[in-house]
Amino acid sequence: MEIELLEIRDFLASHHPFDQLSESALSALPEKLQMRYYRRDSAIPDSGSLDSFLYIVRTGAVELASDDELIARLGEGDVLGYRTSSLANISELHGTAIEDTLIYQLPAAEVDKLCNQHTQLAYFFGPVGGDRLRDAISQSAKESNSQLNLMTTPVKDLLSRRRPIGMPPTTTIQETAAAMSEERVSSILITEGDKLLGIVTDRDLCRRVVAEGLDYNTPAEEIMTRDPSTVEEDDYAFAAQLYMARHNIHHLPVVKNGKVTNMLTATDLTKHQTTSAVYLVGDIYKQRDIERMKEVAAKIPDLLVNLAAAEATADSAGHVITSVTDAITTRLLQLAEEKLGPPPVPYAWVAAGSQARNEQTARSDQDNCLVMDDGYDPDLHGNYFKALAQFVCDGLNACGYVYCPGEMMAITDQWRQPLKTWKQYFNKWIDQPEPKALMLVCVFLDMRCVGGEMSLFRELRSHMLNRTRGNRLFLAHMAGNALSHQPPLGFFRNFVLIRGGDHDQTFDMKHTGIVPIVDLTRVYTLAAGSEAVNTLDRLEVVAEGGEVSADGATDLRDALEFISDLRIQHQARLIKKGERADNFMSPDELSHFERSHLKDAFSVVRTMQNVLSQRYQR
Amino acid sequence: MSFWKYLFNLEERRNWYLRKKPEGPLRDYYEVPFPPMDADWKQVDYLALDFETTGLDQKRDEILSVGYTTIRGQSIYLGDATHLLTKPTGAIPESSAVVHGILDDQASEAMGIKEALPILLDALAGKAMLAHHAAIEYNFLSNACKRIYGYPFISPVVDTLALEVRQFRSRNESIKRGDLRLANARDRYGLPRYPAHNALTDAVAAGELFLAQAVYHQGKRSPTLKDLTVIS
Repeated sequence: MEIELLEIRDFLASHHPFDQLSESALSALPEKLQMRYYRRDSAIPDSGSLDSFLYIVRTGAVELASDDELIARLGEGDVLGYRTSSLANISELHGTAIEDTLIYQLPAAEVDKLCNQHTQLAYFFGPVGGDRLRDAISQSAKESNSQLNLMTTPVKDLLSRRRPIGMPPTTTIQETAAAMSEERVSSILITEGDKLLGIVTDRDLCRRVVAEGLDYNTPAEEIMTRDPSTVEEDDYAFAAQLYMARHNIHHLPVVKNGKVTNMLTATDLTKHQTTSAVYLVGDIYKQRDIERMKEVAAKIPDLLVNLAAAEATADSAGHVITSVTDAITTRLLQLAEEKLGPPPVPYAWVAAGSQARNEQTARSDQDNCLVMDDGYDPDLHGNYFKALAQFVCDGLNACGYVYCPGEMMAITDQWRQPLKTWKQYFNKWIDQPEPKALMLVCVFLDMRCVGGEMSLFRELRSHMLNRTRGNRLFLAHMAGNALSHQPPLGFFRNFVLIRGGDHDQTFDMKHTGIVPIVDLTRVYTLAAGSEAVNTLDRLEVVAEGGEVSADGATDLRDALEFISDLRIQHQARLIKKGERADNFMSPDELSHFERSHLKDAFSVVRTMQNVLSQRYQR
Repeated sequence: MSFWKYLFNLEERRNWYLRKKPEGPLRDYYEVPFPPMDADWKQVDYLALDFETTGLDQKRDEILSVGYTTIRGQSIYLGDATHLLTKPTGAIPESSAVVHGILDDQASEAMGIKEALPILLDALAGKAMLAHHAAIEYNFLSNACKRIYGYPFISPVVDTLALEVRQFRSRNESIKRGDLRLANARDRYGLPRYPAHNALTDAVAAGELFLAQAVYHQGKRSPTLKDLTVIS
């Protein structure tokens, strides 16, 4: 007997997750199927539980809903059923054929069997959509030989090739300091033969010699740290970093077979984590004029390419790139103060938007504002701060952080005000929310102090959070705002693409992918009155505080990571081609696998938007 | 075809043939009662069936391949899907080979119709036979049974082509040339395109069409088997 169900086999072979199966597993699949025809508007299934089968849409379209809330629209090749009801936050799911629909049904027991035999399938059918996404992320993380991953990097991979300098215990302090300066190292080992007795670092010279007024001819052994902790060459860099942080030390002698072979410094670790960013930041602080800073800033796209190549997570890439922006901002403030003289009253330079959240990518607008001490007198001090803002904003613009189209910058008079005026602004926004105004000032709800007097900023922040915490009217408006950007998932769970114009047949990764997650996370954070600004940090905080279910927060985090990772890869591809980085992605850039997971990510966003709307808009 | 069908119902005729004690496989087939004609269509088991033949003359032409699959409780069970190649006694005429693609070489490795019939009859027992333009399959099968076992084959027959004709009539639409072909009928229900002229694919295709026709059956109550069968 010979079964010729090639059409069915071929159909399965061209759709995820069955495309992951071997030839033989694929050929054995059709005979396990049952086919059902559902007339338009009829329920799927018409009896029994949705979980009893995996439903594969062959032709037609199906809507999946829970309590009249639309969860997903599925089209040809999409699957539903099988463990669907284990989705978090969803009580009861029911399917409806919204077109005449032919469905291949695979009994749940058969799917269980397949999952046992094929891990790829087990990944796909992980109990929750979010889990599935999580696996996609961890899978790609596993595959990468991430240079950035201290968890898996042994200490020996980080070391510079220079041998550590050892000196006998009788060496004077003067001599050790001279050797450090000459060799340009920050520590000296005190040894006797092969035996390690102690270590002297630049901090020891400062703390134990200069501060104590010790005689420079004192032998080094009197100030050295005796029997210092060491690390084995094969230890994980991550463990070394933890140890350093815990004991507040910056040097760890590296040991192999009981002999000191090298020295691991805190700088080795940071350098490794942010390879070129450290150099970039170091470079920035050395620059004296804007022209040179521009040259350094021009390397940021390369930095993004490097980060993408090293498979840095979007989160770490965001932190690294933002750290460069922070450095440029700080340096510009220093240069401005050098030029204009010291500020007449204290001020805080506050970054807003993506810089505040540590979520910048290759190209970002500048969003910032200036908060002055209440001793500010516009007649006396107005010109100083105007000039300061002009200098910094112009500098940022020159470095590629173009002026904010909405003028949310310190050069706008309105956004360069003393603390009391800022407090009034927030009072008005929060107590008498207006949808349009809120949309504009939303950017100031993400704030981080980059330069100047931190305490000014702290006071403003706690003023704001005290008002937002549990403020239902304001939060309802914010929730409305957060729902204004919808994920680009269409009727048939297909991508809704931009038609015509410069970005024909693409979708906007930023506004329809990332912004909805950032927005809805912000609402929960303000509701909780939390100081967290970075979206992942915020998700952690609100999950702990119970504003969002732990599963919901995890799903959102994974969705954000997944979408952001795709965006970074997309931007890196453009930069490598010599084009300008943008946020417009064509589905053709994605593998079938990525497309499927991206749809999952968008579904998560849609689900969480529904949850938000139920929570604050009813 | 005989006039007896106008005098006795299917079940009476089944008992009649059973008392004639035909040879083994056909007797086994007749021993299983037919599904009751007044049963709800969802309670009935069907065997969706298709033959590829050397031609359309039921007296002279022979069966080349048999494809079938079971429909039970509104589902097609592909686990029961079967495809049998049967060896014709003569050479395969070119005119039919271009349609079904079965060549002499392949057919020569196939089983004889004598070996295939017991398998098919076993699958059909207790079920209604279902095919698109079912008269072909019905008559070829009946002739083969007469030749080999001495008695004809009878069963409740669901013909998706006849059901499609009723659809057109009930909508007062005229039938144009080609409207009733399997692929075109399937199009109207949003069913996918399958390559034609493989007996098993065509059997599955007819089965899917039937499921679609059944849920689109006009009328207030769910149709019975009788509502869906043609007189046979």
